[in-house]
Amino acid sequence: MKSIVSITNCNIYIDKHLVLSDVNFDINKGEFIYLIGKTGTGKSSLLKTLYGELPMTDGGGRIGEFDLRKLKRKQVPFLRRNLGIVFQDFQLLTDRTVAENLIFVMKATGWKDKQLMKERIEEVLEKVELGTKGFKMPYELSGGEQQRVAIARALINDPDLILADEPTGNLDPETSDNILKLLYDISQSGRAILMATHDYTLMSKYGNRTLRCDAGRVIDSLIESSPQKPPLQETD
Amino acid sequence: MAKQAEESFQKRRLRGSYISVILSVSLVLFTLGMLGLVMLYAQKLSVQVKENIGFTIYLEDDIKEVDVERLQKAIDISPYSLSTVYISKDDAVDLLKTDLGEDFMQYLDYNPLLASIEVKMKAEYAHPDSLANIKSQLIKSSKVKEISYEESLVKMVQENIQRVGVLMLAFSLLLLVVAIALINNSIRLSIYSKRFLIKSMQLVGATQPFIRKPFVQKGVVHGIYSALIAILLIMGVMYYSQQYLPDLIQIQDIEILAYLFVIVMILGIVISWVSTSLAVRKFIRTRSDKLY
Repeated sequence: MKSIVSITNCNIYIDKHLVLSDVNFDINKGEFIYLIGKTGTGKSSLLKTLYGELPMTDGGGRIGEFDLRKLKRKQVPFLRRNLGIVFQDFQLLTDRTVAENLIFVMKATGWKDKQLMKERIEEVLEKVELGTKGFKMPYELSGGEQQRVAIARALINDPDLILADEPTGNLDPETSDNILKLLYDISQSGRAILMATHDYTLMSKYGNRTLRCDAGRVIDSLIESSPQKPPLQETD
Repeated sequence: MAKQAEESFQKRRLRGSYISVILSVSLVLFTLGMLGLVMLYAQKLSVQVKENIGFTIYLEDDIKEVDVERLQKAIDISPYSLSTVYISKDDAVDLLKTDLGEDFMQYLDYNPLLASIEVKMKAEYAHPDSLANIKSQLIKSSKVKEISYEESLVKMVQENIQRVGVLMLAFSLLLLVVAIALINNSIRLSIYSKRFLIKSMQLVGATQPFIRKPFVQKGVVHGIYSALIAILLIMGVMYYSQQYLPDLIQIQDIEILAYLFVIVMILGIVISWVSTSLAVRKFIRTRSDKLY
């Protein structure tokens, strides 16, 4: 089976500072993977590279049909349409209602038929149990509800991969548990999820594969016997 | 109840930021428009001053009535003349009498004054060079004894108008730059307050033109509002200045005013359009961690 994501020998830089080196991993359909590591170890940078916010300058990377090395600025929006992205701070459009947030994504990604759009909105809101809240403004919702809106938004275009950057970071434990369960259920329906998190207690409940960022490397729990490489050299 | 109040407060705050942009843009456009208005009036005034410049052709003493008429007609159809007045020897005496306030003819037994034609010129010919040119042509005629005009006056008018014109042009160019900078700044500020919104839009896969379009549309509408406010203000100023200076009505020209208003409108639209596009583009291209 062809993997959804394939990263090989990739180095990730921020402003010429090497953050992660020699990154290698594949993600297959339906996988639920945690991305862990202390703050500042490059989790967000790795995710940013995956959704085209940071350019990939070294090594190889592929998401679906997109070659991350050859990705041009104009192609970034089209890459993101094949991904769902969920953030710690929700990133909803605060100046419009929940339904309008979803409508914006649909219009931006080429939906035309009003009836189909309406049906899809109901469908994804139902899935995140917010069926009756479409008319609310984001600031009228609780944190957990806002995050569920963000997840509904990520689901709109039926992506194969959802990237979540600490989606439970701002939420209380019980709400976090709900969100995590929701994401896990989504992965069970065939989508891959890569989720950065610090929430180790929750991790034990669902899934088992982890990618751990540590000292400039990404360690894949699938490859138990990963050989030790020489320590990271700072390049400038 | 509380929720409704909160909502309307939020909306008012948003609208408040639009209103301040519209107001600042309209004030800048108003200043530009006023300068344009002053320049147009100055232009008209300079034409009036120049058309008051003229020269006098003194005719030979023995000239016949027919020749005078022929000469006057020839000047009338020449491109430079605006109007001509024939002053006969007797008319000249009358004029001088009123000027001097006494009947000088009682000391003389003949009329020493010459018949003359006074020519008023079109504004574009009121230039020292073209006057000299015209003079040298006319003097060739055997019926013309002398041509007189105030060379220094013509020179002075010409030089001063030129000087004022250059000054005004420089000033208005400077103001235009200031205007563009100010409008650009206030628009950029209002877009800056939406930078995270723009980032969120990008993250869900919206293309740059798709994000920009609603901002630009709104910007253009605001530009139109601003221009309308500026035009109303200019009209108000014109109305009040005419109350105090009724002479201004004489040099008013509806057609030129219409042009001025159209220019103000176009400036309002174009400047908001370009500034909004550039500002949105800038924030689209900024990396998300540099937005804070």
